[in-house]
Amino acid sequence: MIEITDLQKIYRMGSVEVRALDGVTMDIAKGEFLGIMGASGSGKTTLLHMLGLLDYPSSGRIVIDGTDLGSLTDYERTMFRLYKLGYVFQDYALVPDLTVMENVSLPAMLRKDRTGEQIKKDSYEILQRIGLCDRRDHLPRELSGGQQQRVSIARAMVNRPDILFADEPCANLDSENSRMVLELFREINEEFRQTIVMVSHEDWHKDYFHRIVRLRDGKVVSDGFNGKSGVT
Amino acid sequence: MGKKELNVAFLLALRSLQRGSRSSVVLTVLIIAMCFTNMVFLPGLFNGIGQSITAQIVDYETGNVLVGPKSGEQYVNDLDAVLDLINGMPGVERATPHLTKAATLKYRGRVLGVSVRVIKPGDEKFVSPLYSKIIAGSYLGEDDTGEVIIGKAVAGDRTIKQEDEFQPSLGGVQVGDSITVEYGPGYSREYRVKGIYSTGWYSADQTIFTTWSDMEQVEGQTLDHAEYITVKTKPGYTEKFIKNELEQYGVAESVSTMSDLLEKGMGRALQSFAIINMVSLIVGIVITTVVLFIVITIKTINSRKQIGILRAIGVDKEVIMHNYGMQVVIMAVMGIFCGVILTFLISLYMAAHPVVTPEWSATLYLTPMDYVTNSLILFLASVVAGYVPAWQVSREDIQSAMRA
Repeated sequence: MIEITDLQKIYRMGSVEVRALDGVTMDIAKGEFLGIMGASGSGKTTLLHMLGLLDYPSSGRIVIDGTDLGSLTDYERTMFRLYKLGYVFQDYALVPDLTVMENVSLPAMLRKDRTGEQIKKDSYEILQRIGLCDRRDHLPRELSGGQQQRVSIARAMVNRPDILFADEPCANLDSENSRMVLELFREINEEFRQTIVMVSHEDWHKDYFHRIVRLRDGKVVSDGFNGKSGVT
Repeated sequence: MGKKELNVAFLLALRSLQRGSRSSVVLTVLIIAMCFTNMVFLPGLFNGIGQSITAQIVDYETGNVLVGPKSGEQYVNDLDAVLDLINGMPGVERATPHLTKAATLKYRGRVLGVSVRVIKPGDEKFVSPLYSKIIAGSYLGEDDTGEVIIGKAVAGDRTIKQEDEFQPSLGGVQVGDSITVEYGPGYSREYRVKGIYSTGWYSADQTIFTTWSDMEQVEGQTLDHAEYITVKTKPGYTEKFIKNELEQYGVAESVSTMSDLLEKGMGRALQSFAIINMVSLIVGIVITTVVLFIVITIKTINSRKQIGILRAIGVDKEVIMHNYGMQVVIMAVMGIFCGVILTFLISLYMAAHPVVTPEWSATLYLTPMDYVTNSLILFLASVVAGYVPAWQVSREDIQSAMRA
């Protein structure tokens, strides 16, 4: 589903060259729950941003479902994100002035293939699925961190994306809420055969991943299925 | 940009205004309302002064149409015939003659040079509201002789010492007092002050009025000539129409409309007003644009992270730009509405309490077209001021915006 070939991201800070990603090559199959792990500064968030079309690589190639991302225009990248991808951010990233229902509906409202009724139905269903239907008219600030992150997951899922990206979604949550969010990801993955790519630095999160890719200094240092990892 | 995208932009804009910082919205709306007031106030006041001056010139100097002597002549001669001709024309309310005599007034040791205007009080009532401006005593009767009405400025005030007076006066003449009028070397006449008037028009308040009958006594002959004739038009008739009609009917004298005279006499002053109005308008627009630009720039800078997130989840930058643009549009409409209400209330207040100076009294004179024009200008300025920073910030790359 995702083919990554010799991906590089180089930041220049004056005369110093920082290789955030240094020749990453890997494939991600449909339905995988992939964990990208590594120490701070290892390049895991950078890799996620490249895969999620939030940033441009310095070199290399990413192909998602046969589409070479390097060939897309800015508008096509936006539409690709809207139609194909879903995002869950570390700090929930909900629109503070929109209610839970409006936040969840927002990505669907922009799709040309959805009617108003359909958007309402899909948003309602996904909110029911995450157990926050009764809070649908609340504003994000009226919810706990765990609830906000679940709303964020609902927003990412409302368009039934091909790939769900999650950037350290439990970083601001306590362990109980973290577990609840991870369980939700697992259920989504199993129920919908949803491809999930998640960045994490918490070791205990690996229990939820099918496959774990470890990065160090922008390089893949290990890649393997859970409990069977090996150096690539 | 489709309907769906515009709907989303509008939803985001509306929710931001409804649920975002209320104080920020109220402040911005007030700023726009103040900018609107700033844009229309000074031009409106100048228009008010212009209207006031024009009205006073019509009321106390020229009427709607002024008939003067033929070229090369000192007076309008064969007065009765000319008056009959003019008064008989459709659209003419009344024509009334005027003569002016230079004179020296004497009263209790005070000496003052003034103009004595000779009028036919009955006809004058149809042309000038002078009769309604009497503040003491009464207006002149048609056949009064030996009596005058004098302007408040000429009458003066007994409580003010001569050396403290702003302008020379007779030092406090009252109704019933006797004053001496010297018309020329060797001819003087005692007059009883029948009334004192105050028009608010400097030139009129600096003069005294007597009757045609009285001047005939002074001259010792029937007066069949006038310096000029002022003509009042009936409602629904334009000055231009009356002028053309007079010329067509064979009035050989010089005929001028009030507008012609105003153009000659005050053309430069009116041009100056127009220039000041334009400068004031441009300054107002610049201030409004800059203020709104700053307000929206701050708003968008504070929302950079959110803008980055919106873009990340697939919201097109056009939607984001229109979101902020529409916020400005909504606030501009609200601000302009408040500004219109505010200036309307000010104009009502000033109509009841005009700004009065020795030269003129002014109200805030604003036509519906002034409101429409200024509203449109301010609206366009607001749209530009809102959309430029919105356009800039929506084009920022996602990574930089999200890191903000």
